[in-house]
Amino acid sequence: MNKHSVLSSVLTDVNTANGLPNEHYIDPVIFAEEKRSVLYANWSGIGFGKDVPEVGDARPVDFLGMPLLIVRDRDGEIGVFQNTCRHRGMILVDEPKKISGAIRCPYHSWCYDLKGKLRATPHVGGPGQNKHDDVNPDELGLIRVRSYVWRDVIFVNVDGEAPDFEQVHGPLIERWQDFEQPIFHGGAQSSFKLEVKTNWKLAVENYCESYHLPWIHPGLNSYSRLEDHYNIELRDHFSGQGTLVYRQLSDDAGAKMPDFPGLGETWDEGAEYIAVYPNVLLGVQRDHSFAIVLEPVDHENTVEHIELYYAKSEQETPELDNLRTLNAQQWKAVFEEDVFVVEGMQKGRHGALFDGGRFSPAMDGPTHNFHHWVASQVENGRSD
Amino acid sequence: MDRGALDRALLEAHALQDAPALVRLYTLAAEEREAVQDIDAACFFLTQAFVFALETGAVEAEELNRKLADRGRAHRMRF
Repeated sequence: MNKHSVLSSVLTDVNTANGLPNEHYIDPVIFAEEKRSVLYANWSGIGFGKDVPEVGDARPVDFLGMPLLIVRDRDGEIGVFQNTCRHRGMILVDEPKKISGAIRCPYHSWCYDLKGKLRATPHVGGPGQNKHDDVNPDELGLIRVRSYVWRDVIFVNVDGEAPDFEQVHGPLIERWQDFEQPIFHGGAQSSFKLEVKTNWKLAVENYCESYHLPWIHPGLNSYSRLEDHYNIELRDHFSGQGTLVYRQLSDDAGAKMPDFPGLGETWDEGAEYIAVYPNVLLGVQRDHSFAIVLEPVDHENTVEHIELYYAKSEQETPELDNLRTLNAQQWKAVFEEDVFVVEGMQKGRHGALFDGGRFSPAMDGPTHNFHHWVASQVENGRSD
Repeated sequence: MDRGALDRALLEAHALQDAPALVRLYTLAAEEREAVQDIDAACFFLTQAFVFALETGAVEAEELNRKLADRGRAHRMRF
């Protein structure tokens, strides 16, 4: 007998499906299973390119307990490595730093270049003897983790088994083709994080449906009513919501942020907010975009890393600093309004008699799409 | 610089994580050992100097690697 709850009630049509069982939110054993089958087996977000802007920038990241190192190499490319020396397993870099020459292990000083190649093995053959016939540097480079950068989000596929990123997310890349152009981070005031007492999946689920907007974000009702929104869902790929009445922010003098050039007229008043499974939430509007990486700390705690991007850089448009600050404040207020919801759902999942819940067939398609995808990944893992 | 002064300077450079000083002082220590044909000790100090030069991208790294490689103590590297 399968010791886990049967997920068949999730893997059915939204009209009759139940949500994922409680254990997927409150059980550390299932969290560990999802780590392997959902987060390591797919393309998960771990950070942002803007945090390693220059050649030699290195940033350690703890991804579900796995030490990773994000590096900007001399070609300007971002690479992700296991942050572990090939010699004695020492952590290589324990805080963000600039690598001017090589990554030197602080233990026995084995050194690696910015592409992970092992460059030096001091005294490996004895004092003053830096080579040994049985130690081949070509076989002992840093372990590279598959990575891909899209919309400044650094995605990794830890187990190396997922199809290519562009294959997995091709439909979304195509959908947002208009936005395939340079984006510029809005600076320090456009970067914030929220530490939330919730399972990471509840943040995804809340993000990708508009059903809650009139209740949780009543400030939107005056211009962005529920009926102005539409569901976005593609089975096995992504889901989210769109609005038909995006309204640009302006300051007292009527100034607005510049548009991304060349957008189709769909985006004059349109905006979309999509969950890139498993743990990245993206939003696009005519004049700015944002990216959220959900860091699953444990089964009941998540850090939301939120970054805002614009069509022009801070340096080009210092006159828009106030608008960027105002925009960030508005988004932060919206995201903070969601905190009690995702924390409340987490508490509710401790109700032992809760059955995963029933969906609104009309409104909860995007949420169910995510549940269906997670359940599929878990089932895939159990069948391996 | 006598040996005691060199040791003290090296300890201070380590404490300060002063890589340029470490490169210079270990190179000096290597030269002193080489002058008395203590090649093993010289290569030990050359290695120390080389590592800190490599870590910091110092130009001396290439020459230090060449010296070690010429003595059969390291793979010759391209910079």
